[in-house]
Amino acid sequence: MGEFWGVLERYFPEFVSGFFVTLRLVGISFAIAMSVGVVIAAFRVTPAKWVQRIGGTYVEIFRNIPLLVLLFILFYGLPSEVQFSRVTAGALGLGLYTAAYVGEAVRSGVFAVGQGQIDASLSLGFSYRDTLRRVVLPQAVRTVIPPLGSLFIAMTKNSAVIGGALQVQDLMMKARGISADTFQTNEAFFWAAVGYLLITVSLTFVVRNLETRLAIRR
Amino acid sequence: MAGATTNGHLVELESVTKRFGDNVVLDGVDLTIDRGQAVVVAGPSGSGKSTMLRCINGLETIDEGDVRFDGTSVASAGKGIYALRAEMGMVFQQFNLFPHKTVLQNITLGPMQVKGLSEEDAKARATKLLERVGIPEKAKSFPADLSGGQQQRVAIARALAMEPKLMLFDEPTSALDPEMIREVLDVMRDLAREGMTMIVVTHEMGFAREVCDRIVFIDDGKIVEDAPPNEFFTQTKSDRAKEFVDKIIHH
Repeated sequence: MGEFWGVLERYFPEFVSGFFVTLRLVGISFAIAMSVGVVIAAFRVTPAKWVQRIGGTYVEIFRNIPLLVLLFILFYGLPSEVQFSRVTAGALGLGLYTAAYVGEAVRSGVFAVGQGQIDASLSLGFSYRDTLRRVVLPQAVRTVIPPLGSLFIAMTKNSAVIGGALQVQDLMMKARGISADTFQTNEAFFWAAVGYLLITVSLTFVVRNLETRLAIRR
Repeated sequence: MAGATTNGHLVELESVTKRFGDNVVLDGVDLTIDRGQAVVVAGPSGSGKSTMLRCINGLETIDEGDVRFDGTSVASAGKGIYALRAEMGMVFQQFNLFPHKTVLQNITLGPMQVKGLSEEDAKARATKLLERVGIPEKAKSFPADLSGGQQQRVAIARALAMEPKLMLFDEPTSALDPEMIREVLDVMRDLAREGMTMIVVTHEMGFAREVCDRIVFIDDGKIVEDAPPNEFFTQTKSDRAKEFVDKIIHH
């Protein structure tokens, strides 16, 4: 047990810096996944067929390419005029990838919103688009908070791929470096795991809290 | 527009036909409603009453004929339909309040987002309306915490907050427990007395007799009777309406 504490003590600043890089990756990815995902869901439930198709194509592309491939394309594969930083490319890749899943989850929530809600909104003079934005999607998102929570927990764990792929000094890469320095592999990755748990378990609490506060009682 | 001001008709249906597949729901319906009139639409279920109401504010499209509101064609309004709908309030059988918003927010949403009212003005208007429908204390509640009758009164307030020229009621009391029907009908009766133009699809013949100017009886997609309540109940012309009146009065 002493070895575990020893590694943490010696490399504490390293772990902390990796933890915050991971937190940043997760934060940016979350913002991208949530906003793009909701827009994609909106596209998929819009009456216009060609808009639906754009949404469908997005989901098929970003859900069906391995995250690692996506990350490589975004960092190494794009023309030199669009060169992202490592962190930006990583967060963008993870965010766009997760957005496909968010879009599908929110879309399923849209079907839980009754036609009566749409009628009521239209009858007030809202356009179909505003109806979607102000009445349907807010309810759809609230309905799918539990599956969204699972998605974002998965996203947090997926962020561990970014460090190795794009040489970003996130929690995972820090643990690898410490393990290589000390040969204390178990200890190094134990503390990395604890770092990820800190984020995911907090997420679980946030989701539970949101669920009780925002749940729609019909 | 000019037509509306000269003849006073607020709503005009001209040989309106509506089909769902092979099923003809409205079969060449002609109907005009003047400003300030309260009209009850009655008829057996499936006769096309609700569909007619929904055609008036364009929630259903029509296949033939024309629907005009305040002189403007609803059927060919295109995107203009949104502005027309903002002038027609609608109240639904299932209330359809927005469950994720408080009572107050339900009422302020339309005026703020559609009509561009400031939050302050919208709130003031909503508060007044809640007093008018008798539940000012429920402003901060969510719809799920209200009884059916209270929800329907909020729905009426929500529609009125848009200051509509016309109110459409689609079986507003059919989903209510009997003891709550009265409170909703009272609000509607006051509205009619204040001169609101309204079209009410309902089976409440007591309300029809007491409050409305005309009863329009629809059967099988056609208007078979259109008369003041007194005449409708005492000198029913068509057999179908007679049968309906007998059933509803003596049940």
